[in-house]
Amino acid sequence: MPDLERFVHHVDAVEIGETTRYRRQRLVVGRDDVTDAFADPALATVRPHAASPGDRVRIVKPLDVVEPRSRGPEGGTFPGWLVPVNRPRGGRTHVLRGAAVLAAGFLPRNQEGLVDMSGPAAELSPFARTHNVVVEFDPASGASWADVDAAVRRGLLRLAVHLANAAAGAPADAVEQVVGPHPAGEPTGGLPRVGVITNLQTQGAFKDVFVYGRSMAGSLPTLIDPAEVEDGAVVSGQYGHPALRNPTYLHQNHPVIAALAARDGTDLRFGGLVLCPEPVDQASKELVSEHAAWLCRAAGMDAVIVTKEGAGNADNDLALKADALEAAGVPVVALYAEMSGPDGTGPPLVAGPRKGSLVSTGNYDQRVALPAVERALGGARLGIADAPAEAAVEVPVAAILSALSPIGAGRFSCADIEPADRREGAA
Amino acid sequence: MERAGIPTAVITNLVSIAEQVGAPRIVRGGGIPYPAGDPELKPDAERAWRRRLVQRALDVVATPVERPTVFEVPTTNKPEATEAARA
Amino acid sequence: MRVVHYLNQFYAGLGGEEAASLEPRVVAGPVGPGRLLDQLLGELSGGAHRIAATVVCGDDHAAATAGVTERLLELVREQGAELLLAGPAFGSGRYGLACARLAAAGTAAGLPSIAAMHPDNPGLGEAGRAPVVAAGASAREMRPTVARLAAAAVRLAAGEELTGSDGRVSRTVRLGRIVERTGAERAVALVLRRFAGETDVTEIPLGGFDAVDPAAPVDTPAGALVALLTEGALVPAGNPDRLESARATRWLRYDVAGLDTLAGGEWESVDGGFATTAANADPNRLVPLDAARALEREGYLGRLHGEVLVTVGNGTTVATARRFGIEWGARLRKAQVQAAILTAT
Repeated sequence: MPDLERFVHHVDAVEIGETTRYRRQRLVVGRDDVTDAFADPALATVRPHAASPGDRVRIVKPLDVVEPRSRGPEGGTFPGWLVPVNRPRGGRTHVLRGAAVLAAGFLPRNQEGLVDMSGPAAELSPFARTHNVVVEFDPASGASWADVDAAVRRGLLRLAVHLANAAAGAPADAVEQVVGPHPAGEPTGGLPRVGVITNLQTQGAFKDVFVYGRSMAGSLPTLIDPAEVEDGAVVSGQYGHPALRNPTYLHQNHPVIAALAARDGTDLRFGGLVLCPEPVDQASKELVSEHAAWLCRAAGMDAVIVTKEGAGNADNDLALKADALEAAGVPVVALYAEMSGPDGTGPPLVAGPRKGSLVSTGNYDQRVALPAVERALGGARLGIADAPAEAAVEVPVAAILSALSPIGAGRFSCADIEPADRREGAA
Repeated sequence: MERAGIPTAVITNLVSIAEQVGAPRIVRGGGIPYPAGDPELKPDAERAWRRRLVQRALDVVATPVERPTVFEVPTTNKPEATEAARA
Repeated sequence: MRVVHYLNQFYAGLGGEEAASLEPRVVAGPVGPGRLLDQLLGELSGGAHRIAATVVCGDDHAAATAGVTERLLELVREQGAELLLAGPAFGSGRYGLACARLAAAGTAAGLPSIAAMHPDNPGLGEAGRAPVVAAGASAREMRPTVARLAAAAVRLAAGEELTGSDGRVSRTVRLGRIVERTGAERAVALVLRRFAGETDVTEIPLGGFDAVDPAAPVDTPAGALVALLTEGALVPAGNPDRLESARATRWLRYDVAGLDTLAGGEWESVDGGFATTAANADPNRLVPLDAARALEREGYLGRLHGEVLVTVGNGTTVATARRFGIEWGARLRKAQVQAAILTAT
């Protein structure tokens, strides 16, 4: 398989200006270029804003987040959306590391969340650490919400490619090799072959994730080339539980694959990526879980890390896979958020597996007090707190975008406070 | 509910969660978003199926159980299963 | 091992509230629930662990007398205890307190000890370093609770640490904080520990413990008063009572007396966890009132209760849901409801 190389261009500052350009780690976003990227009959107007780490800015109603990436003039990013899937693979992809484009505003079924760029919530969201181009939008009159959603998504992807194109001529700050999976049968030098199953939320309009431009709902799980996911083969249109969301950015920068790649050849061998839908009925959950477990074994995985998206019913998707693989003798580590209540004294899980090792991505209900901010983007009010969007509010961690990152991007985690409790000890 | 001495049939699609939380009487429902429905059926067929589902739930609260038990309702598109269940 | 069992006056068969001030005393061998516990301990350990004596104290005396815990532990010691088991106290507050304090004192003194009580028992906070094993809310759940206690006792006697999979509960608080490595990095570290031979590594204890003792069935649905319940957040259109779409803090009840069906447009689901289109088009898909009403007319169902109880399950904690269950149970019992149908999404 042709190798993919990341040409990394760091972004330390972002601003909105006349024409798009990238120079010395500073990204200027051309206002008209944003309008062009979002040109669609379903949208009346779009307004770009810059929000950087440390700014006293709150982004309310965040939708998807995308990392600016481009394969240069020949194209190749976001297969199934912006380019056909049967394009040349491999080569170089330009990455604006440290930057993100993000849409914010009302869509039906967008469970309202927020990102604070400073203060206590900033520690919790990975998107408080990126220099963000936040795009607000007004739907065209008479446009259906489904069309508005599709227009916003396409606009984000086009803008992401457009911004990264601006760096394609600049020298790279770093060049990285994308680590490919070691297929079954290939000698590993005695190291365990460790793979990943990433469950994608598939609950219909506004709660769907797309693979090569199509909803994964109704699909069987599939092995996929991780380089394709780097290139944007997975795009999120999923606006459920904000803290338990995996925006497109986190698929482009899959945290578990990154962690496995970092140890590839020393402690383990990266064994591949399986994408799996999270169906809405039990029989289908059982079916895809069995099949995903079979795929992992067919790919020669000796151990599997399983990630999810969404709350309680997605826990069931984790548990079924953990049980299926552990029963076949394949060790499983699954990432769970805990739901032990605001004071942390309740049972942490509704539906855990019978066997397996669990990573805690934090407590869903824990409260965070947020100080007032100077400026809010995405809306004038914060509905969940029934307060002006800039106000000092107290919210559950559940409301902070990707704060309980079920794909493993976060550093938030629960532990027992009882010091001598030997159950804890993984950290 | 069951602890309070009231036999309760839980109609849900997510039967494994219901089992794990220890609900003793579980009836497998339609889909997660519509435990007592199935939008894919024609309205008459759906109503008939819902009636069988509720009938099943009523039978279940009159049935002794010892541990979490899942009760199935025959589906409409398999008439032979319906017959078998009656037999 | 020589096991000493602690019971209150009621379970020791020495009287109810009128005997709550009973002073500490020792009875030879197992008593009351101790008989089942002794039998199961014997079976699980091949006869190695048996209850040698039972220490008993009245609830009031145990909860309110200075120095009583020390006195009880002294009696336990005098019986040559190698293992102390206290309870199960179920949901009983005073009894739970006594069990927890005695087990805490035993553990602190180096005597392996376990208390058993419901996770919501206020005594739990008094257990100190002693392991507490989950009991049901009431003595209706005696058998599974005693079985769990016996199994845990055998594990503790073998020198093993009890965990969540033994049904261990504690008032330890599970709160999040920022740690050094990402969830993904910690997942990889856990995988490697599994390959290094550690089988039980986990950041979250496994194993639920909610064993609900089933209620006795009704004789026939034709004679029963039946209630419809849902956690699918079905409310009158416009959500006049502002039910949450997630993380419920309360539940509501809606009058459906005289209604034959739940009409689309008049009712809606505000659940934020699932696609509500199908349920909103025909709310009977969520709460099957039309079918229940038809079965009531035909006499298959005795009578339908006049109100539907509603909450939202989406993101609601187990502890809150459990409280709703207790409150719903109490309300329905008062209304003499005999059976219920709960739809869950």
